[in-house]
Amino acid sequence: MGIISVENTDRLYWLGRYTERTYTTILLFSESFDGLIDGPEDYYTDFCRRLDIPDIYPNAEDFTKHYPYDRTNPDSIVSNLMRAYDNAIVLREELGSETLSYLQLAVYAMNKAAVSDAPLIELQKVEDNLLAFWGIADDTIESENVRNIIKVGKRIERIDLYGRIQMPEKCMRREIHRLTGRIPRTNLAYNKNLLSDLAKMAELPSPDYYRIVEKTDHLLAQ
Amino acid sequence: MGGNIMTNNEVCYHSDTVNELLARYGVRFGIYKNGAFKEQLFPYDAIPRVIGADEFEFLEKGLIQRVTALNEFIKDIYGAKAIVRDSVVPEEFIFAFSGFLAQCDGIVPPKGIHAHIAGIDLVQAKDGTWYILEDNLRVPSGASYPMIARELSRRSNPGMYKKYRIEDNRDYADLLRSMMNYVNTGGHNVILTPGRYNAAYFEHSYLAEKTGAHLVNGHELTVENDHLYFIDYTGRKEPVGAVYRRISDEYLDPMNFNGESVIGIPHIFDIYRKGNVALINAPGNGVADDKGIYYFVPKMVKYYLNEEPILQNAPTYLPFYPKDMAYVLEHFDDLVLKDVAEAGGYGVVFGSAMTEEKKQDFKNRLKAEPRRFIAQEVIDFKDIDIVDNGGAVPRKADLRAFVLMGEKPMVWKSGLTRFSRNPESFIVNSSQGGGFKDTWVLSR
Repeated sequence: MGIISVENTDRLYWLGRYTERTYTTILLFSESFDGLIDGPEDYYTDFCRRLDIPDIYPNAEDFTKHYPYDRTNPDSIVSNLMRAYDNAIVLREELGSETLSYLQLAVYAMNKAAVSDAPLIELQKVEDNLLAFWGIADDTIESENVRNIIKVGKRIERIDLYGRIQMPEKCMRREIHRLTGRIPRTNLAYNKNLLSDLAKMAELPSPDYYRIVEKTDHLLAQ
Repeated sequence: MGGNIMTNNEVCYHSDTVNELLARYGVRFGIYKNGAFKEQLFPYDAIPRVIGADEFEFLEKGLIQRVTALNEFIKDIYGAKAIVRDSVVPEEFIFAFSGFLAQCDGIVPPKGIHAHIAGIDLVQAKDGTWYILEDNLRVPSGASYPMIARELSRRSNPGMYKKYRIEDNRDYADLLRSMMNYVNTGGHNVILTPGRYNAAYFEHSYLAEKTGAHLVNGHELTVENDHLYFIDYTGRKEPVGAVYRRISDEYLDPMNFNGESVIGIPHIFDIYRKGNVALINAPGNGVADDKGIYYFVPKMVKYYLNEEPILQNAPTYLPFYPKDMAYVLEHFDDLVLKDVAEAGGYGVVFGSAMTEEKKQDFKNRLKAEPRRFIAQEVIDFKDIDIVDNGGAVPRKADLRAFVLMGEKPMVWKSGLTRFSRNPESFIVNSSQGGGFKDTWVLSR
């Protein structure tokens, strides 16, 4: 019916953010896991520092178990996935059952990964389902506004993560371009000056990631 | 049953597939146990209940007749009260009961419809006779489960649907939408949910998706200038003309009912009284679906429609009447006793299953509170096969039929068949571990 409440707008935005946070942190965790095979034992502490999450893990083994799968840990991957799910489950009429089902499948895959002998392989299925979720959301959600709000959440989260982990400049520029093109296509209230600043900062030879993240955080009206 | 027109093997192996798909689509219901909310899957059984075209035509006529009479009854109780004046229904069964809402007195809802969606529970006895077990006129749930099961079952086993001529039940959302549009007073249709932690939240969200109505919480709606509005995120106010509310009367409006409700909409009842919004179902319907009032429904059919009831009640006794009390005490072991204040399969006890001590206790309670209980003959339900360990075993099952009162009465050509998984039990409620089946109505 083309009208969205404040609450659902907020949920769509955070759905975008948490699906992206889950997706990208699984990628980063997989890289980190690889680094732990033949790298130093405290390799994971650098991971926590870069993501700016508390290093509450006594050793690498504990990290590999609890960072992805511990539901009592608010920074774990599964906690972020469940936040995405909690937002999505109350948006069925906006997203559609088909789209929502891929997030449900991601949750099942995550549960399976938690008890698997080959967790990285199973986490790939979580990634697959998140990619499918975004794909089908883009393909089937009728309301352009709904699609764009999810994407804005996704882009803002990605810029935030890329800033923290100092991703290569070309990656950051690409995400900023995507965000600056996307926000005006929603009906979200945003700070046009900040958006313009962001676009300019992306073109600088050495973008200041700290300021980019800071400005991105303040783009949308509270 | 299924075995009459198909071999159970045709469908047995699809149970697991469809159950996996139901899990994928989040088809669950919630229960509160020991103070904690828990969601669980609603087990689906792939062997359908099959109802032939002629048999359904009979049921359809009976259901329309019954719900029409019930609607007339509610209209009368909140209007002229002729049925009480004419001593067809004693006033003890109306005004003292919590289902009667004095606030509804004198209100005529949009298009005069009170019972927009009726969930009528039936069972079929072994001799093939259908009996009405219960009328649900407040917030009956369950239609979404056979709807989505059919959708998934058609994917899982398309050949079967090609082979048999089955009425397509996926039109429930169309029936619902047309009913909502008919009573709508001007504006959007919305489905009002108490939220994610309601037992039937899946259904609320699924019906919103399929009807195109907006799923809302109470705080997303506001009453201003005698009209109801949905406030969107830009602050724009969109008029709302029909509210399919999935919350009970007492929580609907804190200004008129339970003042502590945080899930309702202040003053919505005031504008409903003025005819400025349709509430689906109408408040106050509880007066007509109490287990005690059930006894009088066949009398309502005769009184309001001047017709003989097409569908029968299960033989029922009201201990309120001395003659019935004497019968109940004498035939205690042959009867099932129901507490009229309970629902969901709770408060149902079989006389034969009690110890002598408990029987005596119960009889004493019966004498002390005769209005609180009804007694019914135990109907030996016709068993329906369910899939169990790869084979088929018989189990008790009921049928919830859905009747929608829009421009004309509409009976959904399907229904929710619930079954007991326990071979010893007659209780089919999902909250007590039951499962569900699709209900096939054959087309000619």
